[in-house]
Amino acid sequence: MTPTSRWATRSRWPLGWGLTAFVAVVGLGLGSLGALLWQARALHPAMLWEEPWLAAVLRFTLWQASLSTLLSIGLAVPVALALARRPRFFGRRLLLRAMELSLVIPSLIALFGLVAVHGRRGWVAPLRDWLGGLPEDYLYGLSGIVLAHVFYNLPLAARLMLQALEQAPAAQWRLAGQLGLTRGALWRALEWPRLAPLLPRLAALVFTLCFTSFAIVMTLGGGPGASTLEVALYQAMKFDHDLALAALLALTQLTLCLALWLLALSRGGTPSLAVSARPAAIAPRWWRRDALGASRVVDACWLVGLAALLLPPLAAVLVAGAWGLPELPRGASLAPAALRSLVMALGAGLGALALAVALLVGSHWLRATRRPLSATILEGGGQLILVIPALVLGTGLFLLLRPQLGSGWQGYALVVLVNAFMALPFAMQVVRGALPGLSAQERRLADQFGVRGAARVRWLIWPRLRRPLALALAYAMTLSLGDFSVIALFGSPSAPTLPMLLFQQLGGYRWQGAAATALLLLALVAGVFALLDRLTRRPPRHAGAFSPSPEIADARLP
Amino acid sequence: MTPKLPAAGLALATLLAGGAAHADRTLTVYTYESFVAEWGPGPGIEAAFEARCGDCDLEFVALPGGVDILQRLRLEGQGTAADVVLGLDMNLMAEARALDLLAPHGVDTAPLALPIDWNDDTFLPYDWGHFAFVYDTRQLDAPPDSFEALLEAPEDVKLILQDPRTSVTGQGLMLWIRKLYGERAPEIWARLDERVLTVTNGWSQAYFSLFMNGEAPMVLSYATSPAYHMAVEGSDRYQAAEFEEGHYLQVETAAMVANTEQPELARDFLAFVLTPDFQRHIPLGNVMNPAIELGDALPGVFDRLIAPKSLTFAPETVREHRREWIREWLNAVAR
Amino acid sequence: MLDCHDLTFHYQRCDPGEIPDFCFTFGLAPGECLAVEGPSGAGKSTLLGLLAGFLEPGGGRLTWAGQDLLARPPWERGITTVFQDHNLFDHLPVWLNVGLGLAPDMKLSGDQQARIRAGLAEVGLDGLHDRLPDELSGGQRQRVALLRALLRGAPLLLLDEPFTGLDDATRQGLWALVRRQKAAGVAVLLVSHDRDDIEALADRRCRLETGRLV
Repeated sequence: MTPTSRWATRSRWPLGWGLTAFVAVVGLGLGSLGALLWQARALHPAMLWEEPWLAAVLRFTLWQASLSTLLSIGLAVPVALALARRPRFFGRRLLLRAMELSLVIPSLIALFGLVAVHGRRGWVAPLRDWLGGLPEDYLYGLSGIVLAHVFYNLPLAARLMLQALEQAPAAQWRLAGQLGLTRGALWRALEWPRLAPLLPRLAALVFTLCFTSFAIVMTLGGGPGASTLEVALYQAMKFDHDLALAALLALTQLTLCLALWLLALSRGGTPSLAVSARPAAIAPRWWRRDALGASRVVDACWLVGLAALLLPPLAAVLVAGAWGLPELPRGASLAPAALRSLVMALGAGLGALALAVALLVGSHWLRATRRPLSATILEGGGQLILVIPALVLGTGLFLLLRPQLGSGWQGYALVVLVNAFMALPFAMQVVRGALPGLSAQERRLADQFGVRGAARVRWLIWPRLRRPLALALAYAMTLSLGDFSVIALFGSPSAPTLPMLLFQQLGGYRWQGAAATALLLLALVAGVFALLDRLTRRPPRHAGAFSPSPEIADARLP
Repeated sequence: MTPKLPAAGLALATLLAGGAAHADRTLTVYTYESFVAEWGPGPGIEAAFEARCGDCDLEFVALPGGVDILQRLRLEGQGTAADVVLGLDMNLMAEARALDLLAPHGVDTAPLALPIDWNDDTFLPYDWGHFAFVYDTRQLDAPPDSFEALLEAPEDVKLILQDPRTSVTGQGLMLWIRKLYGERAPEIWARLDERVLTVTNGWSQAYFSLFMNGEAPMVLSYATSPAYHMAVEGSDRYQAAEFEEGHYLQVETAAMVANTEQPELARDFLAFVLTPDFQRHIPLGNVMNPAIELGDALPGVFDRLIAPKSLTFAPETVREHRREWIREWLNAVAR
Repeated sequence: MLDCHDLTFHYQRCDPGEIPDFCFTFGLAPGECLAVEGPSGAGKSTLLGLLAGFLEPGGGRLTWAGQDLLARPPWERGITTVFQDHNLFDHLPVWLNVGLGLAPDMKLSGDQQARIRAGLAEVGLDGLHDRLPDELSGGQRQRVALLRALLRGAPLLLLDEPFTGLDDATRQGLWALVRRQKAAGVAVLLVSHDRDDIEALADRRCRLETGRLV
């Protein structure tokens, strides 16, 4: 490690920012939990193992989440390897885009697509009957839950792994080609070392998402035997008003997932959700010895498999939505609802971004002053929200703010706030990779020439951060764009957001219109990604360090 | 720059608040999401009431469902912003009453036309309907005509149910079975379980994601559901199966909050509930039966709906046993 | 004898007849070392990439002893490249990194392992057999890379500024390794802008200007 000069850490403001954000996030998370505990009279932890159905639920939750994680990550590896080995094929860009988006598709929409494709009367039905091996209702029960979770998580996992592979130094890929490394050797020398540091955190993220999954597990579970802790929590909170049990369940979930995250954070590097802007190096005809011959068939199988998993449910939503377009409400509610959703999502996205940057800046400062433990805790604080159920967050916040909370305005503000906190873990994943920004050498140079403060941010840091920041904003915005859970908590005046409109349509039998609204929501999500990508695609003129590849830099200079 | 900022803020505020202007006399009504939808009964009722009261403003606050209204009331306690709550069904009444937040409605209930007698002085019914299994006539020619027949139905008559822990319809089925079979309920649950395709968390998932995709021939819903398909979509494809043992009844009610700042307005509103001006928005807006005789204002398709015998428990009984019955169900079907 | 004739390369697709961005013509005999100088950005890496097969040429001819190299994949061209950096795989110990030159499937026979051990001792790295690249100095890493090239025994060695940033003593050790290769009949193409490197190794020298060798 390069020793850092006293000067590099002279200014303490990053720590201040980080701590402020940390206090806000952890205060909100633990505060809402605390409010529940405070309202609840007595806690009976023994219930966890003494109540048979609760124990069964806990067991099932752990089982399905482990299985889903194992399959998502396990299958993502060969998919990522195949994608890395085939840098050019028709539809690759589209596939990568769809993979990036899979995380932010609202579960109601994903479920509709999955049922339309894999259901008993779904698109797959004729094929299934012809093959004969699959049971008619494989979509229901454990297999369905795992299928849905793999649908959600495999594409993203594979996308991040692909990125890690592509970020290996070009010289190493060239050497591997020149020396003619075989499949096994390539795996040992290049691929595994790139993927291994990614796995702990990726697994922790996927596990947490599956552990807290709600609608998917209930709808496809086939019965109360398949249920998650969140369902029990929902029941305790809403129907029984048993805050003690709710708090107990939330604490259980928190403890389990936090333990997992600590384990993941303590080992393994930092996978970044950031999908890099670097154009893939120009691939010649033969760039890898293992890309010839039968490997084409193998890769084709994996890629077709990926496309078959990912694309048909999305297509089903598109088709149903297109049919439903004429059924959209004629009144004026649709456009304002969409606009309202966008404004709120923008607010939540910017909030999440600000929190993420503050936390990361703070933790970098701590690392620079060689306090890695504190840095990890500061960063871990941002992940806390991932494991606190929205219901607990919302209800706890409600209890805390009750006297001040009117309806309308403040309700919306609160929704934006909670959404910002909920998008924070994802925003952090994206920004994290880019934030180290200046190397120690560049930092020293900048110090030497006195490029500091605003100038340093403007000319040295901003050019590198703008793309990851835009991507983080896109993730945070789209996550809150599709969110039903938080907005449902606080209630709303009669002006709906897009997801609420969708719910209203479903509640009012307008399912074709609902499909169209879902399509619109999906289009907005894709639009936000595309727009932010376009806005930041061209590097600013002064960012010499940002130029894409040495070859192209060669060509432009005289 | 400076003059623009407040203007932008104001525009934003209007956008977020949906352009609602605030009159001096505002009546805040907590209700559920689908009630206030553009095509739901909410907008028509709001317009009719505001026209009748003159300078008042009716403001709906929409929560996901009846349970959430109760929950919200409980969390807010005495400080609740609600003047009226609309959407608590019979099974939530006892718990809502126990909060000691609601006041007698003082409305003459003579016009009520419910399948059962009603003499509650706090909760005023505004619509009702039976829980029923809706079936797809393209998949099922002869639906079961009794609960027994349903239990004996062929293997391929699959059902989509909802979870009694998270949905009103699911809870309705639980009470239905309990009412019909009493102590034998667990055994019935176990037999029914063989017909079940899946148990969803909410009615929307079951009806929209699964039933409308043709996943199963029958779904747990309301006896009034076919009215929507017949009247709005002009399709007779979806019908409700009538069971000879009777169907469990759902009655949805409105009630006023005791320490409301607008007691008169709240009472006016409750009186308005039992008038044709309110009720005619119910049949197709809320897809439920109106609480009074509507005469010609009732859409014709409602005559073609099933009219089964009504089954109910007293709200107090539900409150007392609900958790126990849910556990009974869980233990019967959790494999 | 390496014969490179009108080997061209374009960044963007261009029409036939249009003047290509790069066009290289030169020859190189076994045991000879040709140094290519030029400012950064002149296309030195492009030249090496074309020869090694990392880039696809627009046209031209490239033969070794009369055999067409352009038709062969990089691993069959008989070319070894040593880059300025990242020559070693970070997670493999030194001996395996060297071993990749002998067995691309990492299955090393006892005999091959003995050769690696002897080779490492010969270039003064005997104690570092099991170390990871991170634990070596920059000069040691380049020495490992050159040893791998030596043991691999390819008839053509491309050096892409491999001595940049190293001190004189280290560089002299590395020069010796390159000279051994030359003595064994290996043709060496050295890309550098360091006068000392060129004077120590090159038999001939040329400059790269606006995409042409002069």
